[in-house]
Amino acid sequence: MDLDQYRIDAEPYYHAIGREVAQFSAAYAARLPVMLKGPTGCGKTRFIEHMAWKLGRPLVTVSCHEDMTASDLVGRYLLDPSGTVWSDGPLTLAVRHGAICYLDEIVEARQDTTVVIHALTDDRRVLPLEKKGELVKAHPDFQLVISYNPGYQSVLKDLKESTKQRFCALNFGYPDPSVETEIVAAEARIDSPVAHQLVQIAKRSRNLRGQGLNEGASTRMLIHAGALLREGVPLSEACELALILPITDDPELRDALAHAVAACA
Amino acid sequence: MSPDPRGFLRIAGTTEAADEPVEVIEAFPGEWLAPWLRARRKIEGAGYGAPLEAAFRKAAPACARIVGPEPAIDMADYLSAVTIKAGRQSGEDLCRVAPAVAERLGDGPRFRSWMSLMQRFAALAPESVRPVLDRSEALLARLKLSGLEAWLLGGIRLAGADREKRLAFFRMESADAERLLDREAGETGFFDVERRMRAYATALYGIRAPVREAPPDRHDGAKRRASFGDGMIRMPPSFPGFLGDEALELYRAALAHIGAHMRFSGPRFPVGKLKPLQIAVVSLIEDARVETLAIREMPGLARLWLPFHIAQASGAMTAQSLFARLSRALLDPDFEDIDGWVRKGRDMFHAAQDRLDDPGISRAIGNLLGNDLGQMRVQFNAKTYAPQPPYRDDNSGLWAPDDDAPPPEDAEATVVESVRIRQSDADDPDRERQTNDPTPRTGRARSVETPDTGVPVASYPEYDYQVGCERPDWTTVVEHAPRLGDPRFAAEVLDRRADLAKRIAALVSAARVGRPVRIRRQADGETLDLDACIDAHAALRAGEMPDARVYQIMARRTRDLAVAVLLDISQSTADVVSGGISVLELERDAVIMLSQAMDGLGDPFSIAAFSSNGREEVRYHRIKDFGEPAGARVGAALAGLQAGYSTRLGAALRHAGTDLARQPSFRRLILLITDGEPSDIDCPDPQYLVEDARRAVQALSATGIDVFCVGLGTRNTEQEVRIFGSRGFVQVTNISVLAEKLPALYLRLTR
Repeated sequence: MDLDQYRIDAEPYYHAIGREVAQFSAAYAARLPVMLKGPTGCGKTRFIEHMAWKLGRPLVTVSCHEDMTASDLVGRYLLDPSGTVWSDGPLTLAVRHGAICYLDEIVEARQDTTVVIHALTDDRRVLPLEKKGELVKAHPDFQLVISYNPGYQSVLKDLKESTKQRFCALNFGYPDPSVETEIVAAEARIDSPVAHQLVQIAKRSRNLRGQGLNEGASTRMLIHAGALLREGVPLSEACELALILPITDDPELRDALAHAVAACA
Repeated sequence: MSPDPRGFLRIAGTTEAADEPVEVIEAFPGEWLAPWLRARRKIEGAGYGAPLEAAFRKAAPACARIVGPEPAIDMADYLSAVTIKAGRQSGEDLCRVAPAVAERLGDGPRFRSWMSLMQRFAALAPESVRPVLDRSEALLARLKLSGLEAWLLGGIRLAGADREKRLAFFRMESADAERLLDREAGETGFFDVERRMRAYATALYGIRAPVREAPPDRHDGAKRRASFGDGMIRMPPSFPGFLGDEALELYRAALAHIGAHMRFSGPRFPVGKLKPLQIAVVSLIEDARVETLAIREMPGLARLWLPFHIAQASGAMTAQSLFARLSRALLDPDFEDIDGWVRKGRDMFHAAQDRLDDPGISRAIGNLLGNDLGQMRVQFNAKTYAPQPPYRDDNSGLWAPDDDAPPPEDAEATVVESVRIRQSDADDPDRERQTNDPTPRTGRARSVETPDTGVPVASYPEYDYQVGCERPDWTTVVEHAPRLGDPRFAAEVLDRRADLAKRIAALVSAARVGRPVRIRRQADGETLDLDACIDAHAALRAGEMPDARVYQIMARRTRDLAVAVLLDISQSTADVVSGGISVLELERDAVIMLSQAMDGLGDPFSIAAFSSNGREEVRYHRIKDFGEPAGARVGAALAGLQAGYSTRLGAALRHAGTDLARQPSFRRLILLITDGEPSDIDCPDPQYLVEDARRAVQALSATGIDVFCVGLGTRNTEQEVRIFGSRGFVQVTNISVLAEKLPALYLRLTR
């Protein structure tokens, strides 16, 4: 099985906020595993798509969740009329055929699941398939990338020290207002002054981070608000729909945010 | 002209009635006259004295004309009851205000409800009837009858049995009276919207400074202004004359303005040799400067501020009027003023548009304008001056105070204020800092926290079943560091009860679950379930549809339970039961054994003890927190417990629940051990705290926290069943076996 369906044909839009493109390229050249850190919606997934396109590698993405078992990553036996048949999981697929495997929100997965990547992420670069009795040697082009949102950190959800230390890390944050304006304008296809207004509003909502909000409005949310504006929804409504209601259920914070939106427009 | 009805009555032979004046007979026409005469005779026969009789004869007909004869006649009974409870003076006052009240209420049933309310009030707080009657018109102007009832009962609850305190409340001498009145009247006090306003200020400017309500009576009403300084924003408790949404807009405008100062005003200006007039003008220019800068960043703020600028271009040439006009001229591009001084100020300000980042321009322009005003001989009174519009602060945060100035009077009050943390602040990262360090800028502030006074950490609402509503922030929980007793206490108990400890250990190991379990025939899983595969294959061979559930998984069934143990240590636990041991000592032993069991099971648990001394002091002792190991310190803290005070159960439950809610466990349980019904010194009504506790239990259950009560002793358990429900309560009649019962009970409860 080849990985053509995982190839990215058109260039995904990405606006660099620092030297992360060069840094990631270097890490890939050395086949070092990379961890992308940053709040949700700041462009981690878009960045890895862009890099996969740039490096010409297929990208296998797995969204991790708390019920995910090791079998969901490496594969399992299935039944067919002739008996059992092994089916590779997404990670095994990427390892065999030389893709970039992106484990999104790795902390969500149980800790006993995440240890299967250990042998892949040191100089051994092998994936043992215990149930099948096979040791898969990684394709030379294979690279493992994980994303990790430090905002969610709690005692219950944190990476093991032994996992963390296998990775290089790139830190992502919300871009500078001017860059973020450009991104929102381009992605939502709206005028730059309108995008600037949205970025100003986002700044107010990020001020409340840790003061009742877990996260402020992300770049992704701004793009959603921009798309609503493009469709003719008035600004206050678009902000309510895309920026306020999704992030908080607290009526008092909603009220504060709605008036902060009014102050910015 | 109608014929004189007295003529008819003379003919009818009712001579007594014939003596009544015309207006009385008109007020009680026809068949109502006889009942009226009976009511009159009743009052006169009771011997309340001539002034009261005269007052009634005057008031009742007046009321009858407004609300009809029947309620006016019934007034005699209510009047009698009030007079008996609260004295003749109160009775006379009732008569005096009754017509005006009747006028305001407008109909019989409501007038009757008012009289009945006064009768009840006279029975509960006789000394306060006169002050309340004196204010009845003003009160009813703001409150509906139900609101008045809630306010009266609120005052009684607040002061408890303390007559002086009640009197102070109903004379409106205490701040609580005003605050409660605001609340019942539906006026928006800052207190009610503090949290959202603080979030608003944080959102706009990223300000993390605490926003506090300024102590009441600091300013007279007309001069009420917000202020800032020393890293704190103070808002007036309310802005008189601004209701509902208008008040909210004003708070927002004020916070947006202060935020602009904090963002754009530099270090404080030195006062130097400036006169009050110059200070006022410089402050005004500075206000406009920071607002202009803020509007450049957030254009919507102009819409927030401009509606408050209502100065007109014409008007008296007073400083107050000119200042208001200049304020508007600087901010409102559409405002044209003909006055030369206002125009000059506006032109200078506009000329400086490119240099607005520099606070120095406020001083420069302000000084020039101030000199002009001086030459114009405009009167300026610094004492009565308040910046206009009302959203602007009092400017005290802009100016460096003189070093030898006396500290502000309210320094201490503000410090107390800053350690008082509302329930809603529970997740506030500032919390720790505030509880541990009540920002003692003045030496006096230290007095707030002496070793045994404890730290007020939270306030909770309390439910009043008579009014059917929760009074917000009614009780204050004061946390005390546990007094440590004998550190070997726990070890001694375990030694003394070695047998029991061994039995509990056996029970625990039996109850401890968490072994991996194989779960077969799953649609999804790690490995194939061999039996299911064979079945499926057989089905395939037979040409049947195979069952797709051919996997198995290994899963651990874990206990996921957090428990908060809450001990009642009120005075009654000092009672000695059989064997010369006090209830508290038995409770302590039992908790040691219980914590042994819980520790063995690996359930996270906390232990706290509570008692109360009125609503302002619900004493809470943290003996063990969730993260803390159950070591010798916990034993020592248990050993150091002393019985005392009362049992305000609802507040203690709410506080324990707030802690427990932060535990990430699936099941959360408060295990309460108590020997009596809720009671407190300021609650004469025994049902009140029972209903509040019931309400607290229900509220906790709605947030997924179960409450289970272990009641000690052989009392009637009706109240406990009312509070906890029959399944949330067990009675241990023989207290001496509590240490054995409790762990066993716990295991059964949490299986």
